[in-house]
Amino acid sequence: MPSPELRRAVVIEDDPDIRGLLIRILKKQGFEVTGAGDGLAGIAAVRATKPDLVTLDLNLPDLDGLEVCKQLREFSEAFIIMLTARMDELDKLTGLDSGADDYINKPFSPREFQSRVNALFRRSRTPAADAQAQSDLIHAGEVQQSLLPKEKVQLEGFDVAGAFRPSRAVGGDFYDWYEMPDGLHLTFADAMGKGMGAALVAATTRAVMRSVRYVPDLDTAFKVASKSIASDLDALGSFVTLFHARVDAASGTVHYVDAGHGLALHVGAGSEVRRLKSAGPPVGAWPDSRWQEAELQLAPGDSLVIVSDGILDAFPSLEDFTAAVQQATLNQPTAGATCAALLALAPAETAEDDATAVVVRRLAGGAHP
Amino acid sequence: MELSYEVKDSYAEIRAAGRLNMVSAPKLREFVAGVVASGSSRIVVNLGETPFMDSSGLGALIGCLKVARQAGGDLRIAVVQPQVQMVLELTSMDRVLTAYASADEAFGDD
Repeated sequence: MPSPELRRAVVIEDDPDIRGLLIRILKKQGFEVTGAGDGLAGIAAVRATKPDLVTLDLNLPDLDGLEVCKQLREFSEAFIIMLTARMDELDKLTGLDSGADDYINKPFSPREFQSRVNALFRRSRTPAADAQAQSDLIHAGEVQQSLLPKEKVQLEGFDVAGAFRPSRAVGGDFYDWYEMPDGLHLTFADAMGKGMGAALVAATTRAVMRSVRYVPDLDTAFKVASKSIASDLDALGSFVTLFHARVDAASGTVHYVDAGHGLALHVGAGSEVRRLKSAGPPVGAWPDSRWQEAELQLAPGDSLVIVSDGILDAFPSLEDFTAAVQQATLNQPTAGATCAALLALAPAETAEDDATAVVVRRLAGGAHP
Repeated sequence: MELSYEVKDSYAEIRAAGRLNMVSAPKLREFVAGVVASGSSRIVVNLGETPFMDSSGLGALIGCLKVARQAGGDLRIAVVQPQVQMVLELTSMDRVLTAYASADEAFGDD
C-alpha cells in the first residue's frame, strides 16, 4: 500500500524532448512518473502503475489519442490531460465528451502545465479530505483482512488453505470457514463490483452465513440465509455469488450449494477434474430464486478448489481455465502452496479484479501434515 | 462504452459497444432507463460489440431487465459474444437472460 502522499503519473508522448520535459515537471511536483512513447505502451503503463494522472498526446504513432483515452476510461479513474499542437483540434475536443479532464495547447509553458495539474487535484478534493479517505480505506482493508479465517484448520485427514489478493485496498471477494464437531463449514463469495461497496456486502454475507451454522439441515440453512441477504441487496441493485459447503471429515462427503458462482472444481488425485455447475443465480440477482443442494465425494488425495472470476479472466475459455486449475492443484506439497499457484495464474501486474482461492484437500495417507 | 439506439417496429434496439464493466455499467443503466422512459419498454440489447462483461456489467443487465418489466415490457439480449455467454452460464443467469442470435429474432415469437 503506497503512502497517501505518493502520487503516480504516466506521460504518453512520442516526442522524446517533450516527454522528458513533462516527466521532469511532474517529478518536481512529487509524482512518481512513467513515460511511454506510444498509445499501446501508455495503456500498458497505466494498467501496471495505476496512476492518479495521465498526460496524453493527441497525435501518437500507433493509436489515436482519443481512442487511447476511451480505452483508459474503461479501467482507470486517473485524471487525464490531453495535449495537442493544433488549435482547431483543441476547439473540437473541448466540445466533445472524450473522457479527458483537461486540455492543453502545445507549446505550453511549464508553469501553465503545473498550475493546470494543481487545479485538477484541488478541484476534486482537498488534501486533508484525500488523506482521510485514504486512511479510512487502508483501515477498511485491515478490517477485511482480519475477517478472514486466521487459525489453521486442525481437521483430521484434511489440509485447508485460502488466499485473497484484492485489486484495490478492499475487495468484494471473501472466504470463511469454521470447524464443527463433525467437520468444516466453508463459504466462498464474490460481491458484485469492487472496492468499499462490494466489501460491505461481503462482510454482511459472511455474518449471515455464520448465523445459520447450527441449523442442522444445509438446505434450510441456505434458504434462511439467502433470503436475509437477498432482502438487503434488493434495494442496492447488487448481488453476491455464493458457494457454501459442509464437509463431513470422517467420510469425505461434501454437501454444497452454489448460487451463481460456478467456479468450484473437484480435482481428483488422478486425472479427473470436474467443474461444479451453479444451481441458480447469484443471491440477490433475481427474485424467488431456488438453489438445489448437491453432494460430492472427496476420495483421499482429492481436492475441492474454489476460485474467484479474477482468476478465470486470465483465460480465453472455461476449458483452458479448468486445465490450468487442475495443473496448479496437482503435485503441490500443501493446500497453501496450491493457493499460491492458483493466484499466480492471474499475475497481479495485469489483474483488474480481486483474485481469491480456497483449497480443501483430503490427505492421501489420512494423516495431518 | 458507446451506446446508441434505434426504434424498430415492435422494439427498441440498443447497441452497446465496448467492455461492460464497473465503469460503463452505470452508463448502460442510465441509457436503458432513458429509452424506457421515452416510451419503449420492449428492448433488445445488441451485444455484438461487447467482448467482455464483469459482475457489475451483469448487474446492469439485470437492473435494465427489471426496469423494462416494471414498465410492462421486456429486455432481451442478442449477438452475445463468448466471454459474456460464459458469465451468463456460470452464474445461471442464462435462465433469465436468454440470448438470441439476432436482434430481429429476440421478439420474433411475439
